[in-house]
Amino acid sequence: MPSKWVRFAIGLAIGVLLGLGYAWRIQPVAYYDTAPDSLRQDYRADYILMTAQAYRADGDLRLALLRLAALGPQPPAGIVSQAIAFARANAFAADDLEALQRLADDLAALPAGAEIDGS
Amino acid sequence: MNRSGWTPLLLGLVVGLAAGLIYGWVLQPARPTQAAPTSLRSDFQDEYAALIASAFAATGDLPRARARLGLLPGASDSDHLNALAQAWLATGRSESEARALAALAAGLVERTATPSAVAAPTRPPATNPPATAAVTTRPRATPLPTLTPGAPFRLSERDLVCDDPAPEPRIQVIVLDAAGEGVPDILVQVIWDAGQDQFYTGLKPDMGVGFGDFTLAPDTVYTVQLADSDAIATGLQAETCTSPSGETHWGSWRLTFVQPEAP
Repeated sequence: MPSKWVRFAIGLAIGVLLGLGYAWRIQPVAYYDTAPDSLRQDYRADYILMTAQAYRADGDLRLALLRLAALGPQPPAGIVSQAIAFARANAFAADDLEALQRLADDLAALPAGAEIDGS
Repeated sequence: MNRSGWTPLLLGLVVGLAAGLIYGWVLQPARPTQAAPTSLRSDFQDEYAALIASAFAATGDLPRARARLGLLPGASDSDHLNALAQAWLATGRSESEARALAALAAGLVERTATPSAVAAPTRPPATNPPATAAVTTRPRATPLPTLTPGAPFRLSERDLVCDDPAPEPRIQVIVLDAAGEGVPDILVQVIWDAGQDQFYTGLKPDMGVGFGDFTLAPDTVYTVQLADSDAIATGLQAETCTSPSGETHWGSWRLTFVQPEAP
């Protein structure tokens, strides 16, 4: 029979796993006052689509970059690429895909290290 | 295993459970990547609404804009969008977004004021937010009044209004197209000796989508001009009206700009 310390350690490990599972999966912390980078994938894709639609109309790439910057520190082209993948997987309309693709193409054409002029 | 044999195991379980909960809830909570727009901070919700309006301005897809606004608490209210447009202008934010917000607010009012529209089943918006994923119905499109390109506005009427319910004297601007329909989203500039300001028509859709107003200060002379037009009204000043009982009160100026019919 294992010693009492071993039994304690086994109980401790099981308890930690149960506690983490409950805290992270079953009853995670409810957030409010969040930023756009916390949006669920489908909302995030729609946010990017709206950015692409607005960009297609106004051609303001700086404004599009500022909007995409709210979604996190990833490169903007990568953010749009993820949205395109989501849009294809979820059968978005061809017009939506075209808007996203145009934004992705124009972002890809930006010179490396291009900065957003925040003024 | 006797009772004393279970004790260390249970004790470890309790201690481990508490440690796991503290770590998972306090020290390292799960990163929020499942948030809905409703949980965004209020300023981000405003920016989200402005983005919805910009997308609407680009596509003209009102049902989709309405579905998107439904994700934000209170944002489907045209008054809220109007207030947001005003705030956008007042704080020097993007003028195009302010115009888009005003246009979306006007579009919501237009649609609400078209009860005869025929509902027809249609596909949901192509995007996939769960709140709009069910099959919805949408009324047939009622196009907003739009300008006839190339036909400049003309000042048609300039009246002193003595029965204006507003508590302070103001300039009321009404912009109509050639068909006599109100035209939203027209930039109106107000100039006086010590400064200038501007506003858009359509920000108070309950007064008509072509309506806009500006509060007058006494003893100041104003000039009003529509942007991108030579339509202008000068020498506007707060004036008093006299009621039949002999009491005096401030009156307001009503300026009506009309787009002539295209030749």
